[in-house]
Amino acid sequence: MNRSSSFNWLGWLIFAGLLSMWEYGARANPKLQFYIPPVSEILVALFNLSASGQVAGHLLATVSRFVQGYAIAALLAVSLGVLLGYFRSAYGILEIVIEFLRPMPSVAIIPVAVLTLGIGDGMIVAVTVYASVWPILVNTIDGVKHIEPILIDTARTFGLRRWAILWRIVVPGAAPYIVTGLRISLSIALILVTTAEMIAGSRGLGFFILDQERSFNSSNMYAGIIIVAALGYGLNRLFLTLEGNVLRWRRGMIAQQPV
Amino acid sequence: MRESKLSGVLFLLLLMVVWELAAQRQWLNPLIVPPLSRIFASFGSLVAAGDIPLQILASLKRAAIGYVLAAAVFIPLGILMGLFDGCRRALDVIIEMLRPIPPPVVIPVALLFFGLEDEMKIFVIFFSCAWPILLNTLEGVRSIERLLLYTARTFGLSHARIIWQVVLPASSPQIMTGLRISLPITLILVVISEMVGSADGIGYFILDAQRRFKVAQMYAGMLALAIVGYGLNLLFNLAHRTFLAWHWGMLREQQR
Repeated sequence: MNRSSSFNWLGWLIFAGLLSMWEYGARANPKLQFYIPPVSEILVALFNLSASGQVAGHLLATVSRFVQGYAIAALLAVSLGVLLGYFRSAYGILEIVIEFLRPMPSVAIIPVAVLTLGIGDGMIVAVTVYASVWPILVNTIDGVKHIEPILIDTARTFGLRRWAILWRIVVPGAAPYIVTGLRISLSIALILVTTAEMIAGSRGLGFFILDQERSFNSSNMYAGIIIVAALGYGLNRLFLTLEGNVLRWRRGMIAQQPV
Repeated sequence: MRESKLSGVLFLLLLMVVWELAAQRQWLNPLIVPPLSRIFASFGSLVAAGDIPLQILASLKRAAIGYVLAAAVFIPLGILMGLFDGCRRALDVIIEMLRPIPPPVVIPVALLFFGLEDEMKIFVIFFSCAWPILLNTLEGVRSIERLLLYTARTFGLSHARIIWQVVLPASSPQIMTGLRISLPITLILVVISEMVGSADGIGYFILDAQRRFKVAQMYAGMLALAIVGYGLNLLFNLAHRTFLAWHWGMLREQQR
């Protein structure tokens, strides 16, 4: 977000000041420590949890559910989106069903998933897939619709088969939109995984954080939140790096356009 | 276009008939998939008895307070940060530290502070709407032509009037974007927080119905939620069209 690449001294100074105020305030008011333990204690808890491996299992569970759910959703939504965007009649048939399902907050599906799949990894992955599909699907359809018809006509003139057109013209053409959908779904998938873990889980970071709150281990709870935040940050970074690599051709194209 | 709409409606009707038949003949476990007719009947009686409207009202009250509070705090903050670079740099690090936290993870913290009260849900909604509203407002203000601001200053307008008559109108499309993104987030978070810790609200209602195996009621609650989501979106569009008619027109134009 910084336009200047120089180090943001002011921001970090204020951040450090806030942390030391937190530390001091918590130490000065023992009553408050139940709600807001000193920062140092949270960091100690974070270290202990990581060193003892207590949190590793939860982290692993969350990551594996996230990866499965997100990957399945991406695969499903992109292929369905390409087909629906390309074959208009198919879209016409499904449009109303999609518009009907989309406004319902996706978390409301959790009880249905618990009913059908019970409590476990399958349920959490299924819920994540359901919620992450929508942004990718809608953006992919949009992207396919925005492709210049000339491109497709040209490909057809050159005698490309339908699948070749889909794979070599339509998918790359819609890529920027697809990436937008994938980026939105990245945070949605993490939200759904942690939510499902809180509501019906016995493992995972969402479960861990809520469980620590219920047993009044507030230091551990905050430590868990730091881990989830780090996970979210890392996933986002990873995504941006991959996006930069995959869409490099497009950046070059935009740069060539006269402004 | 009209033809495809018709086929869409027909397909939806076909799906519903298949569902009804499959449930009636018990091809699917009736404990999981009750007939549609029973879901609609349950929905009708729950609405008539006032159960569903009451739960929806409880949820909407929390959602509205959290949403409005977030807008009231973070639009002005975004404007300040957009206008004064020092202000933005001062808060930048804190924001970047808090932003990657997935909103539902804040629920345990809110539980710790507020227990099962309304304030718990309001805080969670407030927190989760903060980033879309703040960052969009900030971007909107920063992308205003500096010339506009200089001109306003040259004409001797006071700070308050510059903000009210130049900055706010010029950044309103982006502010609107932030508010629009926050709308479904609000609804999602109110449902999640009611599922995790509450004694009423539509999120609680749905999860509770599932736990008691009142499956038709559970689906009825989901139907109600979908209607609310749809209605809120319509309402937002109406507000957009009324207050920012010029921008609404521009958007329509682009979509063509």
